[in-house]
Amino acid sequence: MAIYLDNNAGAPLRPEAGAAIARFVAEANGNPSSVHRDGQRARRMLERARAQVASLCGAQPKQIVFTSGGTESNNFAIFGAITATNNRRRVISSEIEHSSILGSLKELERRGLEIVRIAPSSDGRLDPARIVAALDRNTALVTLGLANSEVGTIQDLTTLTRELRDAGALFHIDAAQAVGRIPIDVDGLGCDLMTISGHKLGAPAGIGALYVRDAARIAPLILGGPQENGLRAGTPNLLGAIAFGAAAEAVRAAMPTETARIAALTATLYARLGEAIPGLKLNGSASNRIANTLNLTFPAVLGESMLIALDLEGVEVSMGSACAAGAVEPSHVLLAMGRSVADARSSLRISLGWNNTADEIDQVAQVIPRVWRRVADAEPAQQAQVG
Amino acid sequence: MSPRVIVAMSGGVDSSVAAALLCEQGYDVIGIAMRLASEPTTPVAKRRGTCCSHDDFEDARRVAERMDFPFYVIDLRADFNARVIDNFVSEYLGGRTPNPCVMCNREIKFDRLWSRARALDADYIATGHYARIHRDDRGGFHLMRAADDAKDQSYFLFTLGQAELSRTIFPLGTMTKAEVRERARELGLATADKPESQEICFVPDGDYARFVERQSDHSQIRSGRIIDAQGRALADHDGVHRFTVGQRRGLGIATGDRLYVREIRAASGDVVVGRREELNSPGLIASRVSLVDESIASRGEVPVEVKIRYRHAAIPASFHLESDGRAEVRFTDGGPAVTPGQACVFYRGDEVLGGGFIERALEA
Repeated sequence: MAIYLDNNAGAPLRPEAGAAIARFVAEANGNPSSVHRDGQRARRMLERARAQVASLCGAQPKQIVFTSGGTESNNFAIFGAITATNNRRRVISSEIEHSSILGSLKELERRGLEIVRIAPSSDGRLDPARIVAALDRNTALVTLGLANSEVGTIQDLTTLTRELRDAGALFHIDAAQAVGRIPIDVDGLGCDLMTISGHKLGAPAGIGALYVRDAARIAPLILGGPQENGLRAGTPNLLGAIAFGAAAEAVRAAMPTETARIAALTATLYARLGEAIPGLKLNGSASNRIANTLNLTFPAVLGESMLIALDLEGVEVSMGSACAAGAVEPSHVLLAMGRSVADARSSLRISLGWNNTADEIDQVAQVIPRVWRRVADAEPAQQAQVG
Repeated sequence: MSPRVIVAMSGGVDSSVAAALLCEQGYDVIGIAMRLASEPTTPVAKRRGTCCSHDDFEDARRVAERMDFPFYVIDLRADFNARVIDNFVSEYLGGRTPNPCVMCNREIKFDRLWSRARALDADYIATGHYARIHRDDRGGFHLMRAADDAKDQSYFLFTLGQAELSRTIFPLGTMTKAEVRERARELGLATADKPESQEICFVPDGDYARFVERQSDHSQIRSGRIIDAQGRALADHDGVHRFTVGQRRGLGIATGDRLYVREIRAASGDVVVGRREELNSPGLIASRVSLVDESIASRGEVPVEVKIRYRHAAIPASFHLESDGRAEVRFTDGGPAVTPGQACVFYRGDEVLGGGFIERALEA
């Protein structure tokens, strides 16, 4: 069995979510919008799931709109907010966002909106003062990730709330990597919109949610029926939603102990790798970081080689993002943080999750240095062309 | 534990069958597709495809799924640019006609890919080349022509030495192309009926001149005159990179005689033309000569057959190795037009003894 350390890409299905799926297969029969009793029962399951997701982030159930996942939620937040805003033409974001944010902003730019992309510090933090400085009466939306998917850095966004509200700009937080890893309270964060991903929590891929504080301030992307409070037409993904709800409830119950356990495993792994690999560097903030994520620059090797060599040894990690053909590209986040292309190409992301064990981490702490030595010896990065 | 072999997979039928055969033989096969050039962007390039298109990688991936071995795409674009494309461009700009497949084998497949293979703890690398490796009783390795004469690719592999051959497998060396396709169909491989790939993968439209122009500064383009052997100017031309020795068409000269490119003088920009018989030369000087078995080097005048273009037949000759990695090659019965930049490969019967890159023709 492979040891899975790629939880920021997607978490393994939680047993609670699996049980919910089994219940769905056994019991559910109908469309939550139908009047008959099967439909009513389906509706109850859907609404229960909505409440479960809402309580994970301090929202009211009616503020949760189910979507197909984090990417749709981000698209929905951005295009929905811009469509609902009449005359404001500026959007503020950063250089280290998820591709679904970057892609949406590029399209808005093509349509003539002004996009301000704040650069991060070398540890991946965004300076709230620079965001506030970019804010004006023309700003429609500020969209920022709470925890960075690649380096794990957590942004301090709470100081922005007041300024944003005063400027009349909508505030969208992409919390796909943060929910379930740090306590989230939508009121405390003061956001108008927040993206939540299902499979980062241990639900299957294909389900996510957007928290919408005030439905009047966002327009739907998908038009048709009145489902999801009129914000997303189409028969909801009931199977996904109840698995999402079950995963959310499991996360909420487990968080007090699980976060600390994962943090301890991650710290152990980092310490042991640091001892075995001279010159190993941690990317991202050492203190303000989701505790499951290690983005590491390995000296003198190509990350691509490490990634494949580790996979063949049964250790699954990741690097940057895959191109359409399946080759890996250096991380845009590391480049934005000022790392060289060579360093970005020598970096791997290791992200732990709910089902990693101490035994697994012990094995990985032995395998990674061994593989690193072999790769560095066989194919030193200075021999390989980078750039 | 079975030996681990990295198979270079292009998504074509040859490397697909090579990987599948090694699987059947019990090797621990890992498929690797090398991303060498960027995705084609023009509609023409997309239609023709290159060795590195998304579809080709998906074809290779399907073979890996079918045969149940791990498969990865690796990014060697920077290496390919630095070690193959730059050389290709500078050779053309220098008035020579390069053979990028030889360079790609030497620099990418049997060097960079081998480093990667060691990083992945592999014992061997394998490709879908049509060539054979024979191991003699004393542990020496011999590079041999493929059984299928029509497909033989040993010409492109002359740079391999003992070290490379000892860790390389050519599973298709004893098969014909028809047999390879037949095996692909038997194995249910999606690539069974794929057409042959292009001659040069990174110039899918075949327009080398335009490729060279895109890849170089205008100041590097050496335009000049087309002249005859007496130095009379016959026409102007837009760059020496547009010509190859032996070329007849596209000279833009209307005369009674059939004229061929005889010599390209990059420094002055002169392209010398002449009649067919004026092209023949008694031999050539090759540089960067390598020998499959280095012990041949001490034997003075070595009788061989040489092949000076991939599609030419081997002709009788002898070579003499100089001290600086050069060799003087003399054709036994006089020879054809010699094209600088091309590989000159020494054969003895079916065996490849080595070869080099043609620097210039010997004067008659």
